[in-house]
Amino acid sequence: MKRIRDAINGVDLRRFRFWLQLFFFVLLVYGGYLAVNLGQYLPTFSCGFNDAGRGGICYLLPLQHQLAMSWRTLFGWAGLMVVQGFLFFALWFFVLNKGWCGYVCPLGTIQDWITSLRTRLGIRYSRYTEGQFRRLTLIKYLLLALMILIPLGIGGALLPHDMGTPFCDICPGRMIIPMFTGDFSQLTIDFSTKTTTVMTALGLLVTGLFLGGAFFKKRFFCFFCPMSALHYLLSKPALLRLKKDGAKCTRCGDCYRVCDMEIREIADEVKDPRIMQDDCIMCLKCVATCPEPGALKATFAGITLFESTEQGFIKRMNQGHNDEQHPH
Amino acid sequence: MSYFAGIDIGSTAIKAAVVDEDGKLVGTRIAPTGSSFHKNAMETFEALLAQHGIVREAVKFITATGYGRKLFKEADDSISEITANAIGACEAGRAFGGVRTIINIGGQDSKAIQIDANGNVSNFAMNDKCAAGTGRFLDVAARNLEIDLEQLGDYHFGGSGAPLTINSTCAVFAESEIIGLLAKGHGKEEIVAGIHYSIARRTVRLAKRVGIEDRVYFDGGPALNKGLVAALQDELGRELVIPEQPQTTTAYGAAVLARSQYLDE
Amino acid sequence: MNSTPTDAAAPAYNRSRQAREAETLLDRIEDDFPDNPQAMRYFYDLFRNVYCHGEPVRHQGTLVGTTCIHAPEELIYAFGATPVRLCNGSYHYDQIGADFMPAKSCPLVKATLGSLHAKAAVPNTQSLELIVNPTTCDQKTKASAMMEAMGYKVHDLELPPAKESEEARLYWQRSVRSFALRLRELTGRKLTRNNLKAAMARTARAQAAFRTLHQLRKSAPALFLGKDAFLVTNAYFFDDIDRWTEAVEQLNAELRSRQTEGFQAAQKRAPRILFTGSPPIFPNLKLPLLIEEAGGVVVADETCSANRMLYDMTAVDEWLLNDMVDGLADRYLKPCTCPIFTRNDDRQRRLLQLAADFNVDGVVYQAFAGCQVYEMEYRSIADVLAAQGIPMLYVETDYSPDDMGQLSTRIEAFLESLKTRKRNKQ
Repeated sequence: MKRIRDAINGVDLRRFRFWLQLFFFVLLVYGGYLAVNLGQYLPTFSCGFNDAGRGGICYLLPLQHQLAMSWRTLFGWAGLMVVQGFLFFALWFFVLNKGWCGYVCPLGTIQDWITSLRTRLGIRYSRYTEGQFRRLTLIKYLLLALMILIPLGIGGALLPHDMGTPFCDICPGRMIIPMFTGDFSQLTIDFSTKTTTVMTALGLLVTGLFLGGAFFKKRFFCFFCPMSALHYLLSKPALLRLKKDGAKCTRCGDCYRVCDMEIREIADEVKDPRIMQDDCIMCLKCVATCPEPGALKATFAGITLFESTEQGFIKRMNQGHNDEQHPH
Repeated sequence: MSYFAGIDIGSTAIKAAVVDEDGKLVGTRIAPTGSSFHKNAMETFEALLAQHGIVREAVKFITATGYGRKLFKEADDSISEITANAIGACEAGRAFGGVRTIINIGGQDSKAIQIDANGNVSNFAMNDKCAAGTGRFLDVAARNLEIDLEQLGDYHFGGSGAPLTINSTCAVFAESEIIGLLAKGHGKEEIVAGIHYSIARRTVRLAKRVGIEDRVYFDGGPALNKGLVAALQDELGRELVIPEQPQTTTAYGAAVLARSQYLDE
Repeated sequence: MNSTPTDAAAPAYNRSRQAREAETLLDRIEDDFPDNPQAMRYFYDLFRNVYCHGEPVRHQGTLVGTTCIHAPEELIYAFGATPVRLCNGSYHYDQIGADFMPAKSCPLVKATLGSLHAKAAVPNTQSLELIVNPTTCDQKTKASAMMEAMGYKVHDLELPPAKESEEARLYWQRSVRSFALRLRELTGRKLTRNNLKAAMARTARAQAAFRTLHQLRKSAPALFLGKDAFLVTNAYFFDDIDRWTEAVEQLNAELRSRQTEGFQAAQKRAPRILFTGSPPIFPNLKLPLLIEEAGGVVVADETCSANRMLYDMTAVDEWLLNDMVDGLADRYLKPCTCPIFTRNDDRQRRLLQLAADFNVDGVVYQAFAGCQVYEMEYRSIADVLAAQGIPMLYVETDYSPDDMGQLSTRIEAFLESLKTRKRNKQ
């Protein structure tokens, strides 16, 4: 038992994540070809516009559709449908918590690949300043609010119907993910109406920013992701959890250094054991980079899956010292 | 009948104490440490035995304490004077209803010790490598004033004016301060009282570091000085418990420990 | 300077005062305790060679002196130079330093400057080409100009007085980078990904060896005494890093076999002591030695001559030069529990954790007279420990041997009270 535990805690997380992310990427982007269908309530960017290959549909698409129904329908019998959809979404989410972001999300995986390309080119990353970070981190809540309010406005005939699914319009996933199955049709501006022109042009811009930003900034887009905001609102009862034992923490800041999302609390907070913050993507890099035994751990339904150990740290950093190549 | 002895080899005096099988104090003896403390310690010990008609073989266990404890190889064991003092004060303090705080002023150091109900040391503090506030300080002052150490107490109460303030806590600087005060025409009485208050303030600060609880037991040679006792009580704001022979508490503690060590084995 | 100990013209080094001070201590360390580990031989000999026979410090390339643990040694190694820590523990040099420094200054700073001022000092660092002086406490900060006046080249490595804020972190990262530039100027070499990686790997291996040793000291009854542990970490100040690491790995292997044999380096009931405060630096191992001579055992420490110097390891995310340098900077700032920092709750938490992990019976807090920051932090540490029911002995001392008698009384009384506590608990 101890042997198994040591093996898990000494895992090369980089490699493990690479393969797991690849698996989920294939499942969600190409799963459709193998008749995989995980439904339309997935708490991750398994883009519904990827008609042929999708292995399931991102919940934000049906959610926006549902909310855009006329108010009479929405506040009538159809309301139950919305609740039901939300419950399915929540159930999926409870299993992996924000692990959906760090391990499953195809858009997240694409960003990690871009990061890997950058490091191979020997180009350094950039970071936000603390002030930028504090402001930027709020954008995702704004987007979440708009994503709900705009469809509601359409349903109430306050906004033009062609705003349709406003978030999908500007989501880089809509343009990028279908390209992986050879569908480049989303990569255009829809000139049919004024609104669609503006929204799809905005989408193209965001996609450009996504590709550029992800090259210089680790997990660039995740700071703005409304799905991440929605996740955070539900994250308390989830099964997969990130925990910190503050007494064991030396506040060396190693976890903060490697955090793609620049979450300072992971290093500084020593009182609250529930350390997961709204920007967290549960990639567990912090756990892998913590040299203090048991200071950080990932648990599933109370069972420790992966925890920080001195030996694990030494092993992983040793690989860094010796490896010229990254696994991906 | 078996006996148990404690020998406290201090910087100025050697103190020996003997207890009997029941832990009752049989007798004590004090002698100056002198230059060959080992010889003097042996002599003091033997004189004490002779005084009470005890043969050497009847003493089953000897515990040494004080600065010379390690070098007194005749002892069966040694213990630090802080622990010995605590045990001695705890035992002697029972007659007064129990004590929890001990102030000890010795020849070259002063200590404050806090003990629990069983006489175990729970906290202590000691002056830092300086003779300020110790018996040596009194020695120096008495010499400057050209009076006997034993007379200090009488002088303390003899003054008509308020005690003078002695600012220097360092024994060396206090010396010149005292000479200065004498030159200004101040009375020896006020100076002596001033010295006592200076030591008392320093000692109370030390005691506050360990926390003052319950009755305070005051021992060590300077506890015989009534003037110092008065000053200390004044600064402390409470009565002190002072044993009949304040110099031998530590030796007595060592003897009590010797007995229980022997019985444990 | 080409005088060697065998040089007939020069007085025999081993008869100098500083050599005798070192020798007396080494004799105590070796002879007063039975069953010293075989692997300690290396360290005993090393100290005798360097301190008693004046053997020059081994180094490759330029020798760069450091006055504090905040100077990132990996950078120095990466430039092909060798760091040597100049912090000195000798009473002899403390006295020399007292000739030109205020009487109330810290003995560590006095002794360090004294040794730099002295002729033929030990450790023999005759060819120092640069001294890197992190601006930590006031006294070290002011030492820069004094060292310069003695003719040394000094680099002020600017350290922020706080470590909590992001501003402080970035300021320090910039400081570390400018230190790298200074080293480049000095050595004429370039910092590359590969040479830094190699340097970091050396330090990481040394730290891994130290961590293993540290963990082995959790064993109860103790496998190993604190006086030896301090000697081992003190050797890191000047020894060749690879040679040092191998010696520690050997020691670890020996301690492991001691563990399987059920060996005891101290009595079963020996009070287990956590040592904190001003650093014991050879030959001033007065306090740890007194503790162990009185029957206690120092099982862990929180000082910059041991644990704080080697424990915290560097993490890197992307093995590119910028991330490695920033990672190093972070490692030398963030986990540090030195009392020079404005706020230092980390030290309190670290002590509590060490006390729990090492099953400690009491804490001994050494404050050098004149080391204000340690003196000032005493109260807060005492309160935190008292709240947890951990007894602490606070000792204010310096490098002079004249308070040994008094100290041994206090230490013995403390250990006796710990034993009683332990007995009462059972």
